[in-house]
Amino acid sequence: MSDPDELLRIEAIRKTFPGVVALDSVDFDLRRGEVHVLLGENGAGKSTLIKMLSGAYRPDSGRVVVGGKEVRIHGAQDAERLGIATIYQEFNLVPDLTVAENIFLGRQPRRFGMIDRKRMEAQAAELLERVGVNVSPRARVRELGIARLQMVEIAKALSLNTRVLIMDEPTAVLTSEEVEKLFRIVRQLREDGAGIVFITHHLEEIAALGDRVTVIRDGKSVGQVPASTPEDELVRLMVGRSIEQQYPRERADAGTALLTVEGLTRDGVFHDVSFEVRAGEVVGIAGLVGAGRTEVVRAVFGADPYDKGSVAVAGTRLPRHDVGAALTAGIGLVPEDRKGQGLLLDASVEENLGLVTLRAATRGGLVDLKGQRTAAAKIAEQLGVRMAGLGQHVRTLSGGNQQKVVIGKWLLADTKVLILDEPTRGIDVGAKVEIYQLINELTAAGHAVLMISSDLPEVLGMSDRVLVMAQGRIAGELTAAEATQDSVMALAVSTPITTATTVEGSRGH
Amino acid sequence: MATDTLKSRAGASGAPGGLRRLLLDNGALTALIVLVIAMSALSGDFLTTDNLLNIGVQAAVTAILAFGVTFVIVSAGIDLSVGSVAALSATVLAWTATSEGVPVWIAVILAIATGIACGLVNGILISYGKLPPFIATLAMLSVGRGLSLVISQGSPIAFPDSVSHLGDTLGGWLPVPVLVMIVMGLITALILGRTYIGRSMYAIGGNEEAARLSGLRVKKQKLAIYALSGLFAAAAGIVLASRLSSAQPQAAQGYELDAIAAVVIGGASLAGGTGKASGTLIGALILAVLRNGLNLLSVSAFWQQVVIGVVIALAVLMDTLRRKAGATPVASGAGGAAGRKGPQVIKYGLAAVLVAAVVGGLTLVNNGSSSAANQKVGLSLSTLNNPFFVQIKEGAQAEAKKLGADLTVTDAQNDASQQANQLQNFTSEGVDSIIVNPVDSDAAGPSVRSANKADIPVVGVDRGVNKAETAALVASDNVAGGKLGAKALAEKLGGKGKIVILQGLAGTSASRERGAGFAEGLKAYPGIEVVARQPADFDRTKGLDVMTNLLQAHPDVQGVFAENDEMALGAIKALGSKAGKSVQVIGFDGTPDGLKAVKEGTMYASVAQQPKELGRIAVENALKAAEGEKVLETVKVPVKVVTKENVDEFTADN
Repeated sequence: MSDPDELLRIEAIRKTFPGVVALDSVDFDLRRGEVHVLLGENGAGKSTLIKMLSGAYRPDSGRVVVGGKEVRIHGAQDAERLGIATIYQEFNLVPDLTVAENIFLGRQPRRFGMIDRKRMEAQAAELLERVGVNVSPRARVRELGIARLQMVEIAKALSLNTRVLIMDEPTAVLTSEEVEKLFRIVRQLREDGAGIVFITHHLEEIAALGDRVTVIRDGKSVGQVPASTPEDELVRLMVGRSIEQQYPRERADAGTALLTVEGLTRDGVFHDVSFEVRAGEVVGIAGLVGAGRTEVVRAVFGADPYDKGSVAVAGTRLPRHDVGAALTAGIGLVPEDRKGQGLLLDASVEENLGLVTLRAATRGGLVDLKGQRTAAAKIAEQLGVRMAGLGQHVRTLSGGNQQKVVIGKWLLADTKVLILDEPTRGIDVGAKVEIYQLINELTAAGHAVLMISSDLPEVLGMSDRVLVMAQGRIAGELTAAEATQDSVMALAVSTPITTATTVEGSRGH
Repeated sequence: MATDTLKSRAGASGAPGGLRRLLLDNGALTALIVLVIAMSALSGDFLTTDNLLNIGVQAAVTAILAFGVTFVIVSAGIDLSVGSVAALSATVLAWTATSEGVPVWIAVILAIATGIACGLVNGILISYGKLPPFIATLAMLSVGRGLSLVISQGSPIAFPDSVSHLGDTLGGWLPVPVLVMIVMGLITALILGRTYIGRSMYAIGGNEEAARLSGLRVKKQKLAIYALSGLFAAAAGIVLASRLSSAQPQAAQGYELDAIAAVVIGGASLAGGTGKASGTLIGALILAVLRNGLNLLSVSAFWQQVVIGVVIALAVLMDTLRRKAGATPVASGAGGAAGRKGPQVIKYGLAAVLVAAVVGGLTLVNNGSSSAANQKVGLSLSTLNNPFFVQIKEGAQAEAKKLGADLTVTDAQNDASQQANQLQNFTSEGVDSIIVNPVDSDAAGPSVRSANKADIPVVGVDRGVNKAETAALVASDNVAGGKLGAKALAEKLGGKGKIVILQGLAGTSASRERGAGFAEGLKAYPGIEVVARQPADFDRTKGLDVMTNLLQAHPDVQGVFAENDEMALGAIKALGSKAGKSVQVIGFDGTPDGLKAVKEGTMYASVAQQPKELGRIAVENALKAAEGEKVLETVKVPVKVVTKENVDEFTADN
């Protein structure tokens, strides 16, 4: 039974949390030189499983075998000693330290008790070269883009002599170019003999990178299949049913213009952005990360100021930098950073749902709590939020259900124009389709949706029109019929015609 | 929110024993109950209606301040200014009503407006000036305290009688402060639970950006939140001053930390988003029960502070553990029930540790109270942070031992209202006599009056008590001492020269009287010029700093008069080799360190009191008064100027 190529084996592992069995008799194994994909819906138990390997959680029962020996992983130190490194979606880097310091944090090479910067930077440079990223070891981590942060994390994992590298949705935040680069590095690591546990929601990545796939559903391992398994089959395994249609867009007839944006400019960030969104329409905004998409919608919503231009809802111009006015006019924003900007994580579902309507539900200073509760119960039911009760803390909901709560608070406020910024990031296939259905219902009722997404198939599948942004400008507009992956990407990497002086430089990557 | 989860949990499992669950789910309440049980077991005087009402009164000011701070902490801010704002509001009320003759009801409105205004300034600095709340309110702490000293000129101002009724009792037994505390608590609960602003506090504290993007006007809300905190501080200040019948510019120092502790003990997180009025009330009660119980048990003043610190840490620790454990056992079926046992054991274990700590701590320091036949005497000292008062304590203890009396010493830490609490505790404990060394003569009045009512004779030591009966006053004459000091310094300088004066804690009678006596004595020497007069708060370090600064401005001073020895010693440090040579320093009190400096020649003279004598004579008189013997109304303990020539007589004595 002892396979010399086996790095890691998990047998019949079980873990319970309050009210939930997170994992039940899950088996998993990893060999030298393979990419083993862990597939499952959000809340299926993937994160719990990898946290068990990194020492964040301890199993209630079952065995973990590393290199042929049964081990207990009680914390990050144990995992490090066993050569297991984990790269989470939220990076564990200190923003104000340099790249080299981050890579060797806590293990800086020392000389006479002082940190030997020269040696540390030389070693860091070597590691960075191995992962093929062009970053100075002396650069501050704060200055790096997301893709590079990830490379620094990988370099850090390499510095620990990692044999098992666990990557939790590493591609969720990358552009397709960056994804290709990441794949090259992962393949290189595989050739060097490491074992990689790879979590992703992008099915097409499985065939491109993976060797084997373990599918987890409702805390149980439901199957182990080769990576060449057809996508339909994988989806069936993952959700326990087959999903007929991934993008069920039902186009409604476009009505009058609800949101009109003209010549919107913030110096150095976005320039001369004009577009309109009509009733019953879904307008997608595509573009590379850093093209200024989020900045534009935040300015439209009044969350940030702008220098020139105008925003009007149903013909009425909105004051600049005034969330309250945007809200009253009927604009709602589901922000990109769900946890950081969309939710009160330690408050209840009820409280989160009632946040936007709090003012409206106030009479003489007192909030109509009963009315708020009834409304919350109704909308939660309508959205199918899976929860123990309205009193459950939002932190303990899965990503998809959290997103439903964020959208729900705007639905309660009877929002006419809903802006969705990356609405399905980090959400599983099943919940994605539910959110698409919701978009359909909204537009069918005569509301308008403006949707930013880095997931190209999603933009193409759901939008009636696609705006492509590049370098802070609208590079072009495509109808649903014209929009293809190629045409969108062509615009996204183009340099839009700029007037006289280009304000370049400090833009993100 | 916490109640919701609690209810839903209880509902889900439908288990009996709601009380048990309530206790398990609320660490602070458990801690309070454990404390009350421990105190009742240890002291027979604890569990009486009178004493429980006392605790209510003693918790009131902290609780009202803490209610205001709860708003701020729930919204993830902090307010350090509440103590100062309370003092400032009370001072404004007393000053406008008493000194300026404004009708009392307008004065009350002005006081409350002052509190709100301070809060608004905090809010503006935080919302629009983008200052961190810690810094903005720290600035207000200093400004508020300074303004109240400016307005009152450093002296306490009598509080208008009509407002002072707020410190009285209703129907002869229900103390008004308790009533005010309950009403403010209900208002807090209503605001937090039911109002728009209250719900916004949780949202802002939970995630400010999410709240802003959901259309809450975060900046304006913050103004309102800090203004509410200011309003509650004003209310607390008025209650505090009415209990003492006097507005003290130095009142409520350090109360902001008590208030924050109460809020956190009550289960709020400094990170914001959680907290309840009931929790805050429990937190304030825990602090009050502790102080009261430790007084009743005659625990040494020094150990009291240790025990209080330990209990605060334990109470919050218990709550943190509960939360951690609470994340596990929400219970669905059998698995949940089994999971519940672990944390339960932890909780009971912790409760046991807490009781053991308190009981153990007490028996350890309680050097075995002697038999009941002895007379019981309570001594409340203004502070034990100064050798002079420590010597009073030593003198008193020696005399009590000699005469076979049971002496309990408490330390008011220079806080008039804490002293009022301690005196009240002595009264309800039923001691045979009380010796008080007032923090402030006016402020001690009301509590000494209630001792009068209970027929307990009171002896004042070092400072008198106004508007109340004292069987005797044992004091040295500060005014005379000041005059003697002036004479000694002037003569040493040959009748002319530049001098500076280091003043004591602004607003204390010792500072006022010594200063007045010195000024009077100086009139006879027109050649002496006072170039500077600065406060150094009776403190050695401050004396050093202030003197260093003064030397920058006046390098040519020839004499220093410090209103106590500690400041004089600080000044000597600042003067370095000049001390005793080109600059003559005179101190006051004749403490051992001071006398040593006189002997070494760095200090020219100290106006020596005889603190041990003060303590000794006070105990002697207290015991006589308790047995109904006649005692002299004022006992003057002589003051003497001690110079190098006669220092040996004194060092032998003390």
